[in-house]
Amino acid sequence: MGIPINMSDTPPEVKVKSARKLFLSGASIVWIIPILALVAALGVAISSYNSRGPVIYVEFDKGAGIKAGETELRYRDVTVGRVEEVGFTTGLGKVVATIRVDKNVGPFIDASASFWIVQPQVSAQGITGLGTVLSGVYIEGSWNDEIGEFAERFVGSDAPPLIRAGQSGLQIAFRTVGNGTLTDDAPILYRGIEVGRIGKAAIAPRGNFAIVEALIYEEHRNLINSSTRFWDTSGFSLSFGPGGAEVDFESIATLIGGGITFDTFVSGGDRVQDGTVFDIFPTKEDARSAVFNATDVEPLMLNVIFDDNVSGLAVGATVELSGLNIGEVDTLSGIVDFDQFGDSRVRLNATLAIQPARLGLPGDVTAESAFAFLQDRVVNGLRARLASASLLTGGLKVELVVVDNAPTARLVPAGDNFPVMPTTKNETSDAAATVEGVFSRINNLPIEELLNSAIGLMNSLQAFVGSDELQQTPRDVRTLINEVTGLVSSESVQNIPVSLNATLSRVETLVATLEEEQMAARLLAAVDSVSEAADSLTTSTEGVPELIEEMKTVAANASELELQQLVDELTALTRSADQVIGTPDAVALPGSLKDALDELNYTLRELREGGAVENVNRTLASARNAADNIAVSAKDLPQIVTRLTSVFTQAERTIEGYNKGDEISRTAQETMRDIQKAADALASLARTIERNPNSLLLGR
Amino acid sequence: MEFAGKSQKILSAREMGLVACTRCTRAWPIGTPVCQRCGHKMLSRDFGSMQRVWAFWVMGLLCYIPANAYPMLKTRTLFQVDESTIVGGAVELAHHGAYGIAFIILLASVAIPLAKFWAIAFLAVSVKRPNAEAQRSRHVMYEIVEYIGRWSMIDIFVVAILSSLVQLKTLATINPGPASMFFALSVIFTMLSAQAFDSRLIWDTNASDGDPDQHV
Repeated sequence: MGIPINMSDTPPEVKVKSARKLFLSGASIVWIIPILALVAALGVAISSYNSRGPVIYVEFDKGAGIKAGETELRYRDVTVGRVEEVGFTTGLGKVVATIRVDKNVGPFIDASASFWIVQPQVSAQGITGLGTVLSGVYIEGSWNDEIGEFAERFVGSDAPPLIRAGQSGLQIAFRTVGNGTLTDDAPILYRGIEVGRIGKAAIAPRGNFAIVEALIYEEHRNLINSSTRFWDTSGFSLSFGPGGAEVDFESIATLIGGGITFDTFVSGGDRVQDGTVFDIFPTKEDARSAVFNATDVEPLMLNVIFDDNVSGLAVGATVELSGLNIGEVDTLSGIVDFDQFGDSRVRLNATLAIQPARLGLPGDVTAESAFAFLQDRVVNGLRARLASASLLTGGLKVELVVVDNAPTARLVPAGDNFPVMPTTKNETSDAAATVEGVFSRINNLPIEELLNSAIGLMNSLQAFVGSDELQQTPRDVRTLINEVTGLVSSESVQNIPVSLNATLSRVETLVATLEEEQMAARLLAAVDSVSEAADSLTTSTEGVPELIEEMKTVAANASELELQQLVDELTALTRSADQVIGTPDAVALPGSLKDALDELNYTLRELREGGAVENVNRTLASARNAADNIAVSAKDLPQIVTRLTSVFTQAERTIEGYNKGDEISRTAQETMRDIQKAADALASLARTIERNPNSLLLGR
Repeated sequence: MEFAGKSQKILSAREMGLVACTRCTRAWPIGTPVCQRCGHKMLSRDFGSMQRVWAFWVMGLLCYIPANAYPMLKTRTLFQVDESTIVGGAVELAHHGAYGIAFIILLASVAIPLAKFWAIAFLAVSVKRPNAEAQRSRHVMYEIVEYIGRWSMIDIFVVAILSSLVQLKTLATINPGPASMFFALSVIFTMLSAQAFDSRLIWDTNASDGDPDQHV
């Protein structure tokens, strides 16, 4: 409380201390201004914060001129956002553009959105993005017009996508056939009008074809149906014909930038759905012929890994099953897989494209049914192998053959990979190598030895045939025959039948009255001896069938074309023949024969001179008497008959043995046998008659 | 403005029992409610002015923040849009070697406004803490602040002139940025603040503890 400065004389005014004013009552009205300003600023801040759209992060491979704060995000060429920040993903792998999107657009950016950088581009298809030369690049976004769940992170691309979200059209894919090619972003033309476009071509995971997405614009989708065939019109074709040279290309644009066109050659195609895959043929002709030839069935793809990396198998080589062309080799590659095969050798990996339709399967013709069929066949031993397709070119083909006793193998689906067909030993050989092999085998044959043996055989044969004894044999035989003729034609002999007739009638009665057992027993013994003789005859000729068997074996072997063995066998045969002929017995044979004949001659002469015929007659007369006695022991006759039967059976069997020989050898055999038999019989007859002509009949 | 240069004790009008009309400068005995000559309301000391000073001061400072944060000029040339704040522009100029211009800009747009804020605040505070020694210098300071205040508008003039001159359509255009408006507001409010200050309060050294409440 200070002393007030008071200029007046009036007493100090009564100090009236007003009550303490309220806090704000003394405040000036001017404070409203900053408060209003603050409120306004706050209001602006809040409203601008509220109007901020969401932030999205788009990853790009390259920055491509994106600048923070400048580069815009556009949708249908209208700015709807702005890049706030450009950074990298962790590890600098990609560029991340942080984009602030307008609030009203934000909700539409869902998983369907795609982003790409628009920048000037000069390509065969034209110049695009020219405006960005001055304005700088911008990011174009595409999303559909439906509000979806907000997504924050996207992967952008450097080029616009073929199919933008919300864009309608027929989405199909193309696949190259054979060695066809594809051009990125090429237009699809129909009658020169662009009705669609293909995207970025990609190589299939296994590298055997290229595949590309394509879009047929909505207004043209009716042009495509399932019988439509597409072909490549890029480049130009040059042909020379009677009409002169002809250069053909679709248009300048397709000449440079490539293009695809199509046509529907046949009617009746079905409506196609999105996602259908069409083949792209290299030329119109291929496309046209494909309509009529190819089945619409997807070929069954199989891998075959051949251990031998044989040259000569080419892409397009046929695949045969039982000689039937069922497909072709689609691709060829080498394969080295230590884990699978246990070594680091390069193996030939052939991919076969098998046309299910050519297998002739019943029911649905699909790759699956063909696969099931092959699976079943593989269990039964079906294997793949390489075989020579042409000896001249050395080309190879793949054969599917059934191998007996093949090691167990199965054809199993291999998921992402093609199933692997088991293989067997290849049937291939180089033509040159084959011929050389034949020659070398022939060269190795023991021709010299064979010839030597043959010469030896010939010599022995010559010596045998040329021996004096053998040459003399025919003369002896003739003499013998003369003697026999003489004997037969003699009067006494002529009488024999008459006597014999009488004798036989007597024998009949004799048989009935034969009573003495001894007589029958002797008869039996005699029959036994005859049987023995037959046996010995069999034994003596036993060797011959064996020889023939051997020859037959040789012949059989020879027919099996075992040339080497044949020659060997022939050599052995000639050698053994040589040995047989060279034995003293064989050499002595002509001598013995001659002796026998000599003896025969002598015997006959004696017979004629010594009144043997008279003896016979007399004997027959005696026999008549004997027959009377024989009749007594007729009860033994059946036994005799049985013995006789057995003898005949044996003889028959013997003759059968000879039948086993060949026609020629049998004739010779028969001749020899007849001669031998005749000789033996005559010899024994002569000897018996000489010794005691009556003994047989009289039993003494 | 005349300074005697003598360090003798200056006698204030209030101490002499007078009050001068702030409009027509006619002196009246203290307590005269209205100027008899011009009818202006008479106040020996306008203690309420301090509130106005502070209110405008705050407003000026509030406006000064966006004036520096937002771009002052939008320069759109053929290929690019350039937006620069006051400080950013000065730094850019300095980078290009124009140190003189950068210095002037910094001085006129940053140093002087900041100095004004400081000066006004100092004066307003110092009224509450009377100090007889610095009365003269404080008054000089007040005179300078008030005199120099209007020249801060030179920035706005430059922006206005550039904007009106450089309008070459797509080739190059210059437009004022949001900061220019805030800067102008800031200058205006600091001028108002300086004007609202009752410089007579400077001279009340001992009087304040006598009876600050005494005003009629």
